[in-house]
Amino acid sequence: MLIEDLRKQSTPFKLTNIVLASMFLMILSYSWVSTKMSFKELFDGWGYMVSYVSGNPEIEGSSYFPPVLDSADLKNYFWAMVETVQMAVVALVMSVILAVPLSYVTSRNILMILIPGKSVLHEFLRRGLYAIGTFIANVFRSVNELVWALIFVSAVGLGPMAGILALGIHTAGVLSKLLSEGNEAIDPGPVEALTNSGAGFIKILAYAVIPQTMPHFVSMVLYRFESDVRSASILGFVGAGGIGFYLFDKLRGFENGSVCTILIFIIVTVWVLDKLSAVIRRRFI
Amino acid sequence: MIKMKNLVLGYKKEKILKDVNLGIKGGEFIGIIGPSGAGKSTLMMSVVGGIKVFDGKFKVLGHDMDGIKKKKLRKIREQIGIIFQGYNLVDRLSVLDNVISGMLSDIPVARAVLRYYKDKELKKAKEYMDVVDMTKYTAKRCDELSGGQRQRVAIARALAGEPKIILADEPISALDEKSAKKVMDILKRVNQTYGVTIVANLHHLDVAKEYCSRIIGINGGQVVFDGKSCELSSEIVEKIYTTQK
Ligand SMILES: Nc1ncnc2c1ncn2[C@@H]1O[C@H](COP(=O)(O)OP(=O)(O)O)[C@@H](O)[C@H]1O
Ligand SMILES: [Mg+2]
Repeated sequence: MLIEDLRKQSTPFKLTNIVLASMFLMILSYSWVSTKMSFKELFDGWGYMVSYVSGNPEIEGSSYFPPVLDSADLKNYFWAMVETVQMAVVALVMSVILAVPLSYVTSRNILMILIPGKSVLHEFLRRGLYAIGTFIANVFRSVNELVWALIFVSAVGLGPMAGILALGIHTAGVLSKLLSEGNEAIDPGPVEALTNSGAGFIKILAYAVIPQTMPHFVSMVLYRFESDVRSASILGFVGAGGIGFYLFDKLRGFENGSVCTILIFIIVTVWVLDKLSAVIRRRFI
Repeated sequence: MIKMKNLVLGYKKEKILKDVNLGIKGGEFIGIIGPSGAGKSTLMMSVVGGIKVFDGKFKVLGHDMDGIKKKKLRKIREQIGIIFQGYNLVDRLSVLDNVISGMLSDIPVARAVLRYYKDKELKKAKEYMDVVDMTKYTAKRCDELSGGQRQRVAIARALAGEPKIILADEPISALDEKSAKKVMDILKRVNQTYGVTIVANLHHLDVAKEYCSRIIGINGGQVVFDGKSCELSSEIVEKIYTTQK
């Protein structure tokens, strides 16, 4: 009797589990079929891929390997890569400035510190701010940075500034969501203690909220920096600065040896930044 | 300092404490005892305005608590220090920063954000860290401290607000006997050297008897005893701790 109950309670074959699993499988298979995914085609296409990567023997430089190492080009790539990283730096600062306040108005617990009242008006204000903040963050995030870049190129012309604005806006939306999750996970105890001692919003942020969210903040911002560098390296496709300009140019001209060189630049840069952020992250635990 | 007359307290629609009549004077060391769920925390938190007042008269530091304005409430809160069972310190900040966080109402926002303190603030912080015997660990982060040490930092933080009253909600129930004794000794010292009124919810009856000048017994939302600890007979103790139904 008792064992039966325990068996029932612990069985993995519960109705909800079965329903969830079959729903997942249905969505997967529907999507797989609709998008015409096929292992067979990948196998059959293998040969074409090899010949694309190895290039046409009659056209010089159409093979990815060996990478083309022309010294004048290398210098250009290097400075374009530097510009790419610079774009990410400025964009990151911009997005943090936008995302931090946005993340506060999209965290229920922080809103309770900002507008602590219990009346209908207070509740209305909190909900209003939350809705507006969430809406702005969603728009920022949902529009891809390439699309933002096109919009900003039309406003401020070709060049890295358009790319910076595009990255800054998009990442502000992403960061806002990530940071608000961190905000909502803080221990409310210290906030309660400071509230009771009569501290106002900014002081509570400085002493009870920010010290607690710091490790999560640093980790998210570093992750977004790396991701901004990766995005910045293709914004040049639409004329928004960075190494993407060369990448696009060489891809279009089937100068795959040079494409390979540029890809190596990007991969090495991302790898170095990854190592650097690991060092920084360790200091902020 | 605190006056309650025929007071009824509770949450939303639920009345928890009924017909409370209490007067608390400056310099008292009061222990509140009673079974869990009796309403001790509710009674204590009502003093800082977190609890709904249904009926009766309620004055804290001369202000009427019923329908009090936010600004006035903040004034009252600045004069009351609270110590929690879970310490409520910021783990990632140093002992010094945690202590100073108790005197934020005297520090301008810009300096508070920069953590730039004046000599007189540091002097005050040092004095309170001395009182709780934590001067050796000022630079330590609070997550490196033991429970007893954390509670002592919490007392120093409460002191930093220069309170007239310190409320301590089960300050020692998470501590071992030795740390608990040290914390209680410090509370006693604070009571005597600064004349701060102390109101503590205590789980341990013998601790309450040893340290408190006055004991308030609560059971089922009612004050069933209010007197000196020597007047606490075993019959009364039984009355406090047996569930009424
Ligand atoms: N935030 C709350 N909302 C509603 N009821 C509460 C809340 N906090 C406590 N209570 C109720 O009030 C009663 C007294 O609780 P409490 O004051 O915490 O008792 P004690 O501190 O003596 O253990 C309990 O029945 C509890 O369920
Ligand atoms: Mg309690």
